[in-house]
Amino acid sequence: MRHALVLVIVLAVLLPFFWMAYAAFLPPEIVYSGDLRSGFGFTLENLKKLAPEGFWPRLFFSLWVSGAVALAQVLTALLAAYALWNGLRLWAVFLFTLAIPAELLLVPLFGVLHQLHLLDTPWALVLPFVASPFTVLLVFQAMRALPYALVEAARIDGAGEGRILFSVVAPLVFPNLVAAGVLAFAAHWNLVLFPRVAVGERYWTLQVWIADLTRRYPADWGLLSAAALLSTLPLLLLYLLFERKIVETFEGSVKG
Amino acid sequence: MRGLRFRRIEHGLFALPALGFLGVFFFYPFLEVLRFSTWRWSGLRAPEPVGLKNYAELFADPLFWQSVKATFLFALWVLPSFLLLSILIALLIEGQRYERFVKGALFLPGLVTVGAASTAWYTLLAPDYGALAAFLPVPAWDQEPFWAMAMVVAFTLWRYLGYGVLVVSAHLKAIPPELVEAARVDGARPFEVTRYVVLPLLRPAVLFLLVVGSVLALQSYVAVFLLTRGGPFGATRVLGYFIYELGFENFRLGYAAAATVVLLALTLFVAWAQGRLLEER
Repeated sequence: MRHALVLVIVLAVLLPFFWMAYAAFLPPEIVYSGDLRSGFGFTLENLKKLAPEGFWPRLFFSLWVSGAVALAQVLTALLAAYALWNGLRLWAVFLFTLAIPAELLLVPLFGVLHQLHLLDTPWALVLPFVASPFTVLLVFQAMRALPYALVEAARIDGAGEGRILFSVVAPLVFPNLVAAGVLAFAAHWNLVLFPRVAVGERYWTLQVWIADLTRRYPADWGLLSAAALLSTLPLLLLYLLFERKIVETFEGSVKG
Repeated sequence: MRGLRFRRIEHGLFALPALGFLGVFFFYPFLEVLRFSTWRWSGLRAPEPVGLKNYAELFADPLFWQSVKATFLFALWVLPSFLLLSILIALLIEGQRYERFVKGALFLPGLVTVGAASTAWYTLLAPDYGALAAFLPVPAWDQEPFWAMAMVVAFTLWRYLGYGVLVVSAHLKAIPPELVEAARVDGARPFEVTRYVVLPLLRPAVLFLLVVGSVLALQSYVAVFLLTRGGPFGATRVLGYFIYELGFENFRLGYAAAATVVLLALTLFVAWAQGRLLEER
């Protein structure tokens, strides 16, 4: 009974993924018949149709932008978390920013980017996300689990603060940095509304592009699923690679 | 060894990049929104100051009140189901062989792209084109307000359930086994152990999820944008989406800024009230 219930829940949660992977390779005849029971088939047609729609340059652009954001976020978080760990009393500032989701600031952020003449440039997609309180929190929690004596010992050995952070502390929290980086990457990769308003079609990220594709071809399951599948793949790979660490890092942030 | 004071300055410098970027792209917009809210501004032409007119208009706007109602309705649906399902699933999988696998699977939807996820949902569940419509009677969630809300709620739950389960599970693991053992020795049945020993001890987890969940409920409008666009008849036009529509579809940025101020005040109030709640636990 218990096992059956868990199975149903897991299947229901994973159903959209199975469907995405299945429909991406559905031949157009079956799609246009509108009835899945009309047959089975396998085709790469849908994937090929993505190229003329401009899928590939978008994918690489998104990888680039989100990757840059993830790296920058981890770096700023590493530095800030070390300062907090050493007793810098700014925790309240980060907690406050944590309570206000960035989505709420869409309108004023647009205004500020306008003032800074950053609208419709790739910088508009990167600069607002260079620092994230959530990433700071994750890295800070990881550091707090280390014995502080490490830092004191390194200081007695004459190491400077930068040296201690990068050669002693950073390697020890490296798995957490990777996990935080993956989460930062995912969060940025998933933005839809912000890129839509901050930049023109030229710099749309993959997600905005897919949302637009769904509007243009609402009935072409094959094409939409192929796009969805390929845009999920980078995250899926990252997640499968680091799943354990990501879940643990999250659990760590919960306990604190 | 250098002095403590010198180190303090160094640490301040370390925090500077994060604080600087948050300052420019978080605190500055946070304050600027107050100024924007007194403008009549389309984003294209120069803004024109109008004082508090935006607020007066906002509080008289039936669409605003409708979206306040939609936001609370959404929260009223999402929060209890989020809490119940998180606790239920965490209890179901506790100590089972597949516990880790289930947690990993449930966490996945929160990480994958919203755009892709909503595309999968859409092609699967659309009442007219959807793949499931051929097998099952799919309610017309594009026309019926009730089902549209149900759809947005289900999508939101689908994305965040893994997180909820993780939180409850972390607290479950922290319950000393002796307590459960003692209750059992005293003759409590499994159901009674859960009801009178485990559930009361989960109070902190529930409160924590309540805080996270209500901020989430107030902000969550991406699902609305992707699935229903606020429709039908504004039934799912939550405040966040209302603001987006005002600002970037009707190009009334000043008016949208005034609505943002109201939503920010609401969020801060909820966060503050729940902070108090958490401290009392």
